[in-house]
Amino acid sequence: MAKPQKIIGLNPKQSFRQNARTVLPQRLEEVYSWEQYINDPERRDELHNMRISVKRLRYTMEFFAVNYDSRFSDILGVVIDLQDILGDIHDSDVILDILTDYKKSSQSDELLGVDTLFSRTQSSRNSDYQEFKIKWEHLSATDFKQKLLEIIAT
Amino acid sequence: MGVKMSAAIEIKGVAPNENMETCARLIIVGYFREMMSYKDGAIDGTNIEFVHDMRVASRRLRAAMDNFSDCFQGELFKQHYRQIRTITRTMGVVRDLDVLIAHFQSEVQTLPHEEQSGIHGLIEKLQQKREIVRKPMLELFTELETNDFESKFLAFFQSEG
Repeated sequence: MAKPQKIIGLNPKQSFRQNARTVLPQRLEEVYSWEQYINDPERRDELHNMRISVKRLRYTMEFFAVNYDSRFSDILGVVIDLQDILGDIHDSDVILDILTDYKKSSQSDELLGVDTLFSRTQSSRNSDYQEFKIKWEHLSATDFKQKLLEIIAT
Repeated sequence: MGVKMSAAIEIKGVAPNENMETCARLIIVGYFREMMSYKDGAIDGTNIEFVHDMRVASRRLRAAMDNFSDCFQGELFKQHYRQIRTITRTMGVVRDLDVLIAHFQSEVQTLPHEEQSGIHGLIEKLQQKREIVRKPMLELFTELETNDFESKFLAFFQSEG
C-alpha cells in the first residue's frame, strides 16, 4: 500500500477552516497522482493505491465537512462512489488470487465450482473496471477536480 | 463482496473558526473512542461487523493522525501512531478473511450441487485460517490492556500542547 503523502504547511495555531484549504488540495492531488495508470486494467497495484488515496481523501473531506455547504457534501458522495467501485475491483482481484491458489492445491474433482466462480469473478471485475472508467471519464469531462478545488478555496 | 463502510461520526466542538490543534485533538480522541468501543465485540467474534467497524474507525483515526501530525511534537506521537497502525493491520487480516468467508458462503448457494464441494473445502480452509489469525489480534488486545494503552493515548491527546 502506498504511504500517505506528508502534508506540507499545516498551521496548528490557525483556524480549522484555513487549514482545510491547505490539507484538502494535497489529498486530492494524491488521488490524481495515480490517474496516469488507470487506462490499463492490469495495473492492479496502482488501481489499489488509487483506492487507498481516494479513501484518504474521503476521510479528510469528512473531517473538514463542517467548513462547507451542501455542494461539498454532494462531492463527498461522488468520492464515496469512486471508493466503492475501486473497492469492488480490488475485492475481485483478491478473490481471483484466492481461487488461483486454491486451484493449485486442489484435486481435479473439486475444481468445477472453483472454475465457475473464477469466471464469474473475472467477468464482474471486467464490468466494474469499465464502470469505473466511465465514471472517471465523466468526472474529467465535467471538471470535477477544478470544481472541488474551487469549493475548498471558498 | 461490496461491503460498504460505516458513516463518519459527528465530533462536538469542531468548528470552522476553532484553532487547528484543538480540532485535531477532538477528532483524534473521537475516533479513538469509537474504535475502542468495538473492542469487546471484536474479541467475542460472533458478529463480524465489530471487527469491521473497529478497523474502519482505526483507519479514520490514522488518516486524522497523518493529516494533523504537525500539531504534535515528539516521540510519543510516533509511538501512538505506530500502535494504531499495528491495530489496523492486525484487524485487517481478520477482516479480510471474514469478508472472504461470507462471500464464498453466499456464492456457494448459487452453484449447482455437484459444483459446491470444492467451494465448501475452500470455506473450511479459510475458517481454519481465520482462527489462526484471530490469535494475534486477541494477544494485541491483551497487550494494549496490560500496557494501559487507552489511558496513555487519551492522556496524550487530551492534554494541551
